[in-house]
Amino acid sequence: MLTTPPAKMLGTLLCLGLLLAATVSSLIFGHIPVSLAMLINSLTDYDPGSLEHLVIHSERFSRTVTSVVVGAGLAIAGALMQTLTRNPLASPGILGINAGAMFFVVVGATLFSLTSPSQLVWAAFIGAATAAVLVYFLGQEAGRGVSPVRTVLAGVAVTALFVSFAQGLLILNQDRFESILFWLAGSVSGRDLDAIAPLLPLFGGALILALLLSRQLNLLGLDDEVIRGLGLRVGQVRLLIGLVVIVLAGTSVAMAGLIGFVGLIVPHMARGLFGTDHRWLLPLSAIIGATLLLAADTLARLVIPPQEIPVGVMTALLGTPLFLHLARHVRKVS
Amino acid sequence: MYRYASFLLIVTCLFQSPAAMAIPPVTSVEHALGEATIAGHPDRVVSLYQGATDTAVALGIEPIGVVESWTEKPMYHYLRNDIQNVTYLGLETQPDLERIAWLSPDLIIGARNRHRTIYPLLDRIAPTVIPGDVYDFKALLTMMAKATGRTARGEELLTRWQERVEDFRTRIRQKLGEQWPQEVAILSFRADHARIYYGGFARSVLDELGFTAPASHRQESWGIKLTSQESIPAMDAEAVFIFMEDDPAVQRTFNTWSSHPLWKNLKAVRQNDVYQVDPVTWNMGAGIIAANRMLDELYQHYDLHQPEHQGCPRC
Repeated sequence: MLTTPPAKMLGTLLCLGLLLAATVSSLIFGHIPVSLAMLINSLTDYDPGSLEHLVIHSERFSRTVTSVVVGAGLAIAGALMQTLTRNPLASPGILGINAGAMFFVVVGATLFSLTSPSQLVWAAFIGAATAAVLVYFLGQEAGRGVSPVRTVLAGVAVTALFVSFAQGLLILNQDRFESILFWLAGSVSGRDLDAIAPLLPLFGGALILALLLSRQLNLLGLDDEVIRGLGLRVGQVRLLIGLVVIVLAGTSVAMAGLIGFVGLIVPHMARGLFGTDHRWLLPLSAIIGATLLLAADTLARLVIPPQEIPVGVMTALLGTPLFLHLARHVRKVS
Repeated sequence: MYRYASFLLIVTCLFQSPAAMAIPPVTSVEHALGEATIAGHPDRVVSLYQGATDTAVALGIEPIGVVESWTEKPMYHYLRNDIQNVTYLGLETQPDLERIAWLSPDLIIGARNRHRTIYPLLDRIAPTVIPGDVYDFKALLTMMAKATGRTARGEELLTRWQERVEDFRTRIRQKLGEQWPQEVAILSFRADHARIYYGGFARSVLDELGFTAPASHRQESWGIKLTSQESIPAMDAEAVFIFMEDDPAVQRTFNTWSSHPLWKNLKAVRQNDVYQVDPVTWNMGAGIIAANRMLDELYQHYDLHQPEHQGCPRC
């Protein structure tokens, strides 16, 4: 773990460098390889007749942007959830948010015949929000506010409920199944930037709010009585953070479908490197999350071109060894 | 009770004895999973995959039992007129064994990849033949002609096919000149992905006609599934044949992919050599009739004069 501020600054710079490298790789590697010179050329002097320029402009820009936004969003949402519920295993997947989004997309596609991405994006977002609100209220303990344990239990129950409903609907409407399978599998490719654009201001707002709440978040690790003694309005802070989580996780799921692992693992990696101070933890989670998703998506393209491996598989494949290494390393230090 | 049974036995023997005296010709057919011994000329034929149903009709047999088609359920339109009094046995992947037994067929035709595990059961119901390669419609025709004692009909169909192939090759060579042999790709669109076919029935027919495949498409596997439009350049060829099901979700996928700038950049698309073809004949029929119908479509697409031919029924 990096302890001194200069070391942390250096670490941050290194992470930013990795992010930059991952971004460039995401733009140049794939079934049609593009040279670095060609990439710069396509930015300064776009030629629609060139295959490489076409690939960069029509596909790789949008998937690179999507990877960065979704990776950062999932990572911060995961970090916030882990703090909020005091549960190191919390992530959008555990708290029912993915399942809620999935269920609403399935309902939209089967019962309301929604097909365009711009409609499904909103269905996913509303689903994520509904599940989160449901979990929030089910997680309340009479007279004592949000209980971390109850919240996790409620999340698991809500997940089971939504998943079983969604499966039931899909079994009844098998012909619809294929058309949303692609969305469900989770992918950052072929996502229409126009469809997700309306979500971006919301996403940006939530991101800023999360960073502003860093100090309060640091206190949430303490016992509720102690926090109150320090003059923090626990309920209000929790509610605000809950909102931020809903927006970040909801928009991420709406943009890229169900991508697991990033929300769970990246906060642990950031914590392992930079400690538990949220002023470092949140920005670094965002940077590492974006880097991980970019790298996963780039590798997913390169394994069996021109086919692609689902990006969720790659995030798990990349994330697990790093995670295990960190877990072992941290234990040795302490 | 016992007396009643023995009485029945005697009556049965009495009725059967004349038939038993005229010794039926016995054919032995070697196939992918063994050898079948077939007596006489089987009329009660059960077909357990689409190519066998098509081939049976071409041989002039109306099967007594068939599996359902994949689209245009329960049977492809092009075969419907010739298959009317038939028992449907469920899906190709899970045929109803009890109903097959109930039909007491003389001959069963199955597919190796689908019915390998139930082959021993099928063979106890009736002699069963399993062709080696599901895409080799000519081997299937020869095998089924032999098994049903219709070798003359089978050879006639093959000769006519050969004549048509020769005629097509001559005409398309004249038409395309320098550009022959043409490099063609076979594509398909589904609700959630696109496919490039490297092998399969359509490719084997196109190979026989003399078309070539792009270098990257010359592989052993059936083909690949593409989920990202970034892979569109892999579809490139001088001409492109596309088949897809008539379904709104599939149409939407196709519209999305075909409006992509990379699609418009494909050689075949720029030269306007993109042909939409019938998914049933190109990908599902898999028999001699389907092959003939594919050839009909190709004559049309390349605007070649097609001589009168007396192919098989429904060709």
